[in-house]
Amino acid sequence: MKRKKSLRNNKKNLKDKKKLNLFQKSDMKFSKSCPLSGKDAPIIDYKNIRLLKKYLSESGRILPSRVTSVSLKKQKELARSIKRARLLALI
Amino acid sequence: MNCYEHTLIVKQDKLESQSKSVIGKYEDIIKKNSGKVLKTEEWGLRILSHNIKNNKRGFYFHIKFEGTGETVKELDKAENIDQSLIRFLTVRVKKHDLKKEYFEKKEF
Repeated sequence: MKRKKSLRNNKKNLKDKKKLNLFQKSDMKFSKSCPLSGKDAPIIDYKNIRLLKKYLSESGRILPSRVTSVSLKKQKELARSIKRARLLALI
Repeated sequence: MNCYEHTLIVKQDKLESQSKSVIGKYEDIIKKNSGKVLKTEEWGLRILSHNIKNNKRGFYFHIKFEGTGETVKELDKAENIDQSLIRFLTVRVKKHDLKKEYFEKKEF
């Protein structure tokens, strides 16, 4: 409970401040857990193009984890499998 | 024994029956060098996402096998010389997932 309260306070504080730059997340997205870790998370694989494409920009660049809120461990795994898929010209 | 996944792209100018003989050749190499082929998948003719050496399309093949480092070495040696291949990739995995297939064979 304590944690929740502190998060709420954070959000309030953020609303008061102006956005510093374009990439700063909106308040809604602030506390979002990693979509690739946890129990029923999909397996990251270079053959699973449908999953990998979610984490690419329109021009095919890897999206930063601060945008997608992927954990550091999974982001590394993701980057490796994206590069493998690129080598095989799948993406 | 380690688990490996191997993918290779064969040039399109070969007929499909010929491209199948190419994959047979590499299966033999694996078997000769103390390896064991568990599964071969055909992904069929796919459009490459970007041109590689003026190739627009290629036949994709996927082999799942067990073997040692020597097996992979011999495989790479043979594939580096092969003119009919566009690209190949060997990945070591901890465990083979033989059920799941991400690609269905498509005809263009």
